[in-house]
Amino acid sequence: MKSCEGIRDRLMDLIEGELTAGEHQRLEAHLAQCPECCREARALRETLARLRSLPEPAVPDGFLDGFSAAVQRRISAETPPRVVLWRRVAAWLSGRSSLRPVPALSAAAVLGLLLVIGLVRTPRAPQPSPVPEVLVVGETLSIAQNLDVLEQFDILEDLDLLEQLPLLQAPENGRPPKMG
Amino acid sequence: MSQSDFEVIRRVLHGETAAFELLVRRYQQTILRLTQRMTRNVEDAEDLAQDAFVQAYRSLASFHGQSSFSTWLYRIAVNLCLNHRRATRREDPMEVNGNVPDAREDSLARLLAAERDRALAAAIEELPPQQRATLTLRVYQGLGHREIAEILDCAEGTAKANYFHAIRTLHRKLDARRSSD
Repeated sequence: MKSCEGIRDRLMDLIEGELTAGEHQRLEAHLAQCPECCREARALRETLARLRSLPEPAVPDGFLDGFSAAVQRRISAETPPRVVLWRRVAAWLSGRSSLRPVPALSAAAVLGLLLVIGLVRTPRAPQPSPVPEVLVVGETLSIAQNLDVLEQFDILEDLDLLEQLPLLQAPENGRPPKMG
Repeated sequence: MSQSDFEVIRRVLHGETAAFELLVRRYQQTILRLTQRMTRNVEDAEDLAQDAFVQAYRSLASFHGQSSFSTWLYRIAVNLCLNHRRATRREDPMEVNGNVPDAREDSLARLLAAERDRALAAAIEELPPQQRATLTLRVYQGLGHREIAEILDCAEGTAKANYFHAIRTLHRKLDARRSSD
């Protein structure tokens, strides 16, 4: 039957009760006059019933307490995770304390803040100063243009180092100083 | 009132690392069930569930909150299970949840039921990884297609199609087996 393909795509929805009343009626009407689709629906229904009847994996008594303790032991040896600076600032700017997707406005505000820090602190005559190698990631300060990349740099947690960002700006030719 | 996952994560990220235990206790059963279904081996399941929590802890700072924490945790656990399976694909016949009845005490009907379960479990094991993961998340974890798509990083339509094909494939395998018996 010409319309069978479209019907079969919806059979699982029918079986799991995820159709609207109208769609449900339409599919049932089709099944009533199409033996092939009816067979397919029965097969899917039976298989699903068998899958659901498979026994739940047994979790021994007291097992979960031991599990939780084991995870705690393992993570106590890990370096504690820390929220990165720009996300903290973005959360503060957006007036929220919970973790939620940072809206573009907040992200833009963080970038603005970083740039302001850079402009205000730029010395008129930059002194040669050792720049932490980790900050030199590209031709320009493009590190600040990609927040996902920025997030990888724990060094930005340290505001003293953050203030050195202007030193990355090229003195003459727009290229960052080469690290030796 | 219990704190939201996001609130607990915020506390952990601000140095209260012990708060992570709340998340472990909240999701340990769910993740263990998932890893048991995916590996069908108790020891492997426990190791992988532990690994999932440890990995989540390590990566907590990169959790952006675009999905729920549980979806994110599921994604970590499913990926670990799929990688584990690739690395240790078993050749030997699988145990079926450790519930094989004792022939001396149980009726023939129960033995037959156990045999059917074993056949079904073996058929699930042969499914392609994405279909198998989809089936597990849908049938045994009760997740919606949209969340499954997020976990497996695919389109919702793909998740639905994988689910449909998994069940149809299982039916055909079991049918073929019945015919050959």
